[in-house]
Parts: sequence; structure tokens; C-alpha cells
Amino acid sequence: MKHFWALVFLMVPVCGVLTFIIAPHYNVWFPKDISANGHVIDHLFMFILWLTGIIFVATEGALFYFAWKYNARSNPEPVKFSHGSHTLEVVWTILPAVTLLFIAIYQMNAWADAKMRRPHIPVTAEITGRQFNWDVRYPGKDGVLHTPDDIVRTDGDIHFPSGEEVLLIIKSQDVLHSFFLPNIRLKQDVVPGMDQYMWFKVPEPAVVDIVCAELCGWGHYKMQGRATFEPRPAFDEWLSQKYTEQESHRVAEAPIQ
Amino acid sequence: MGIDKETTRQEDKETWCDPVSPCLPVSPSPCLAMRGREFSATAWLCIGLVGVAAFVGCGKADPPQFRLNMMNVVAKQVAPQHQQAIANILGAMFGTPDKPYAMPETGLDQKKLNMAAGPVWSDQAGEDHGLYRRHCAHCHGISGDGHGPTADILNPYPRDYRPGVFKFKSTYTSAEPTEADLLRIVHDGIPGTAMPSFALLPPDQRAALVEYVKYLSIRGEMEKALEDYVADNLDPGDKFDPASNAETKKLILDDMLKPIVEAWQTAKDQVIVPDEKSIPPDNRTVAQIADSADKGRELFYGTQANCVKCHGPTALGDGQQDDYSDWNKATHDFIQATNAKLAEMEALRKDLTKAKGDDAEHIKEQIRSTQKEYKEREAVIATLLPPRHAIPRNLREGILRGGRRPIDIFWRISAGIRGMPMPASGPAAPGAPGTLTQEQIWQLVDYVQSLPFEPASQPLKKGPVNSSAVSTGE
Repeated sequence: MKHFWALVFLMVPVCGVLTFIIAPHYNVWFPKDISANGHVIDHLFMFILWLTGIIFVATEGALFYFAWKYNARSNPEPVKFSHGSHTLEVVWTILPAVTLLFIAIYQMNAWADAKMRRPHIPVTAEITGRQFNWDVRYPGKDGVLHTPDDIVRTDGDIHFPSGEEVLLIIKSQDVLHSFFLPNIRLKQDVVPGMDQYMWFKVPEPAVVDIVCAELCGWGHYKMQGRATFEPRPAFDEWLSQKYTEQESHRVAEAPIQ
Repeated sequence: MGIDKETTRQEDKETWCDPVSPCLPVSPSPCLAMRGREFSATAWLCIGLVGVAAFVGCGKADPPQFRLNMMNVVAKQVAPQHQQAIANILGAMFGTPDKPYAMPETGLDQKKLNMAAGPVWSDQAGEDHGLYRRHCAHCHGISGDGHGPTADILNPYPRDYRPGVFKFKSTYTSAEPTEADLLRIVHDGIPGTAMPSFALLPPDQRAALVEYVKYLSIRGEMEKALEDYVADNLDPGDKFDPASNAETKKLILDDMLKPIVEAWQTAKDQVIVPDEKSIPPDNRTVAQIADSADKGRELFYGTQANCVKCHGPTALGDGQQDDYSDWNKATHDFIQATNAKLAEMEALRKDLTKAKGDDAEHIKEQIRSTQKEYKEREAVIATLLPPRHAIPRNLREGILRGGRRPIDIFWRISAGIRGMPMPASGPAAPGAPGTLTQEQIWQLVDYVQSLPFEPASQPLKKGPVNSSAVSTGE
């Protein structure tokens, strides 16, 4: 079969494109976006996916065309190599450079929104990663962290208010971790000895996963949590309930989980 | 494989033999002995073996087994036939890691055990099986010996369930924990250690895991009781078989198992309930709390409570740091006793140079048996986690392993921490006198709770931010 290699190379774009077409139908596409700002990240992803997708299909198509046309059986003459074309070299250097530069500029606002323009609001909670758990500390009634009325939870069941901006401090007790909220399209690496900030807004109540996205040791997979977003009154109610529980002086007040 | 027998070279044999080694039994592979022309017949046999081994041997590992606590077995010099007898008895009473048995006398729940035990798999309905091995065994070990594959890299070491000693509980010092205590640890994890929270598991799975932990504890305590009895009461030749001897059976069930099970079942009656009158009121002012904490501070540094001895004058845990927990102490003592054997042998050898005739023979025999025991002990030491000192808690970090609620801290001070150097300051049993009154313990609770917020503790509060480009929110 003289077109064997041409067809083999044709399978690359075919399978590649097919993967992206069927992925959403098999629920292996993005997790549901629940945040106010996540669509910006999704848009960037889709934009780059289309851009690279078109270039990918075009170059793979060209490869297929040449492999088909110049297969070894029909073309016994050996290939003659040229020393290249100056114009072509310039073109294919400048084109990707301009494209990359465009992407770099195009995403700047999204990056600044996610990582640089920290809102001027009080901290909602401090999250501490440790091998292998996410612990959380809420500032309590006085709104200041590390005071006696803090609420500290180690059960990975973390609540946040929905419908308003949330600001978190992320810390590590031991090694590198990464606080990842896939449904909010946010991920923040945690460096021991440093405070990292993370902010987002979730308009509607939701319950989503928290995972660690930085291989932090053998128990990395155990580092999961659950983020519950609920309206402010419900969140405050939950907080005061946890505060009461934390203050229990009596056996009867200590609930059996 | 198209290898011509004339062109067979050394490398061919090696590549053929190597993949065999993990699958075949320990006996050396026949390939290794072959040379040149003799290759073909043996080689094909070998390939056959590889094939068989690949399909049969590698696919299925032997089901995991409970192992005896060799430290106790060797320390007590339990005879091999008695080791076998004990393993058989434990097998009959508790089953295997794949098929646990909830003997009615133990009061354990067979359904819960089935849920927690066995290999890891999920059925078609998505129900998870083999929960203990999925979540716990890699640290706490198949036998609950606290020495799973990841135990060596942890500090603190994972708990060894077999002595039935648990640290963070609501009961009097020497009592077992209640179900609620164990559930709380599984739910909240232990901050400051590698024990994570399992709050995301459904409640019935957590309950199953707690039941399995109790099962491993009761099994471990039973094993120790059997070993100690055999070592103290039987000669190596004596038979130890409850199946054929009703008296032995009665002994095992009534004298050994019953007290162990009772300790677990009565744990809920052993909960320390602080006297309502001693509990500080909810509506205390900041000044009142500070006043109480001040009294607690006096107790902390006083000779009566003497917290300062271990937790240090700074409360950073920098007091006495060379103590051991019960678990590490057992290993430490075992190693010390092993080293003593070495000295013993040395002394015997010295005697031998002076001894004559029958005396010399007798000493030689002693040296031989001491050497044998020394070798056995060394083999066991190689499998143990190196002992570590128990470091008192740094109370300024605000990380309290057993929980941060006032009642948790009250329990910790009142009952001490079982298995640790931390002593009980409250009564040892209901109605007994304690070193401190409940009011004093509550004052200490206030002091402990205030420590992380003292100015001296505060530098820990805030870390540097990664970039000056980030505008400060404050």
C-alpha cells in the first residue's frame, strides 16, 4: 500500500479532532463553571483551542497531502534538499511570534483579574494546606484572623458565602500544595512560609470539590475537600453554629459525627 | 522468539530470565545454569514457566495475612509450635483480613467489618469495598500495627492499634475510647499530623472503619494475652489447643477475651463529665476570661500541675524532650534488651576461658542459646520503626491534635494522654481524688486557649506576600 504512511498521518488530525468532539458527550469536558469570572478563563481556553486547532488541522492536512503525493513508490527519484528560502523563514518566524505576542497581550486582563487586582475587602478565611488535609480558619465575629474568636475546622468541609466577593489567604504548614477549585477555574500554589491570596465570586449556591493540584507527597490524592457556597444568612448561621460547637464545655454539646 | 540455538549468547538468557524473578517462587531459575548448546530444551521449559507464571503467578498475589507481633513473640520466647497455635486460635476467633469474623463474644458488628475489610474494589452500583485497605492500611498496616508502607516517612508514626491504647478520648486515663471519640478522629483528622479528615465519606463508611479499628485492637490485645499466657505458663512441649481442651477454651474466652471486650463495651460509662458547677459560664467578659487564664498560668508554672516541666517555661514544648511514648518505649526497651544480650554473651565468653569440663559445656550451651535469641531479636529490630522521643506540644502554635474545644482540652488535662508522658491531673476513676480540682483544670484550659494569642506567639500570624505588585488589601 503506497499511501500507508499518508493515511497513518491522516489519523492524527482525525483522532485529535474527534477526541474534542466526543469528549463533552462522555462527560470528560470541563466541570461546571459556577463562578462569576470563570467564563473568562473558559473563553481564553476555547480561543486558544480554536486557534491552535485550526493551525493543527492545516499543518496536519499539509503533511498528509505531501505524504500522499510524494510517496516513495510513485516517486523513485530521491529528494533534493534546498538551502531554504529567506522569505519563508522570516514569515514562519514572525507569524508564530506575532500570534504568541497577541495571546500574551490578550490574556493580560484575565491574569490581572485573577492574580493581581486583589479586592479591598476583609479576608473571608485562611486555608492551610498540610500533608494531607485542608484546614480552614475563619476570622470570627471581629473579622480579624488569629484572635480568640476564630473558627478553626479541620474536616475539609469548607463553607463560603455566595453572591459576594470572597477573599482567601492560602498557606502551607509543610510542603508545596496547590489549592484548586476546578469549578471556579482557580488554582493557587501554596509556598510554605508565604501568604498567597485568592479571590472569587460565586453568584449562586453550590457544592463543589476542592483538590490539591501539586503533588505534595504519597497522600496527595487524600487532600480533598468540599466547598459549599450558600447565601450570607445561611453562611453566618453555619459559622455561628460551628463557633458554638467549638466553644463546647459540656459532653452533651459535643456532637457525634 | 526466533533465537537460533547456535547463536545463543549470554545476553539472551539474561533477558529471558530476568522477567521471571518477580513471579517465580524463590528457587533459582533453571535458566541461570545453562550454557551454549544445552540451551534449547531447558530454555523452552523456562519460557513455558515464564508463560505459566505470567498468567498464574503474577496476576494473583497471596491474600494478605495478619502477622503476629514478633517483638512480643521474641521477647517472650514463644516456642514455634505455640506461635502456630496462637495464629490458629486468632484465625478461628477473628478470621483473616479478607474474611473477618465478628465472634459473638466480641460484640463486634459483622456487617460493618465486611464493609471495611477485604480487597479494594467498587461494585456496579458504585459502592466502595475494602475501605480499610483503601484509606488506612498504607499507614496503619494490614494487622493494625501502625507500620504500613508509608509509616516510615511519617512523624509522628501512625498509631499501632494492637495494644488497644488511644490518645485522644473522653474517658478516664486507663479506659478505652468511646465510639464517638474514634468517630471524631476519623471525621476531623488530627491536625499537626498526617492523619487527614475523612469527613467526606458517608457516615456508614466511617462507622465501619471505626468498627474495624476496634476489631484490630481487640485482636491485638487478645494476641498479647495469648502470648503472655503461653510464655508464662507453658513449657515449649505443652499442647495449647482450645479445640480439644474445654479448659483451655474457657480460659481463652472467659479469662482473656472477656475483660478485653468489657473494657471496650464499658468505655461509654467511663466518660469524664465535668461537674456542671465547675464549668465557667458562657457569658464571661474578656476580663473574666483573662483573670481565669492568669490563674491557669500560675498553675502552669506551679509545682502542683507542673506543666512547665515538659511544655517548657516558654510553652513552646521545649521542656523535657527525652521521654518516650508507650509504643516507642516498647521498641526502645526491646533494642536495649537486645544490646544487653550482646554484653551477656561477652561475659559468658570470658567465663568460658576459665571454665573446664562440664562447666565449659554448659557455658557453651548458654552462649549458643543467647546467640540464637540475639539473632532473632536483631531480625525483629530490622522490621521496627526506629524509636523517637515524645516531644511535648508547642502550645503557642494553636494546633491541638486532640481537638481545640474547651471540653477536649479539659479531657486532655484531666485524664492525661494515654500512652504518652502527659500525666492525668484529674481523678483516675470516678470519685477518686485528682491532683487538680475541676475548677483548676478549667483555668488551665483558659490559659492554654489564650497562649496562641499572646504577643509572644504572634510573629507566626502573618507570612510575607509573594509580590509587591499585589496591592495590599488592608
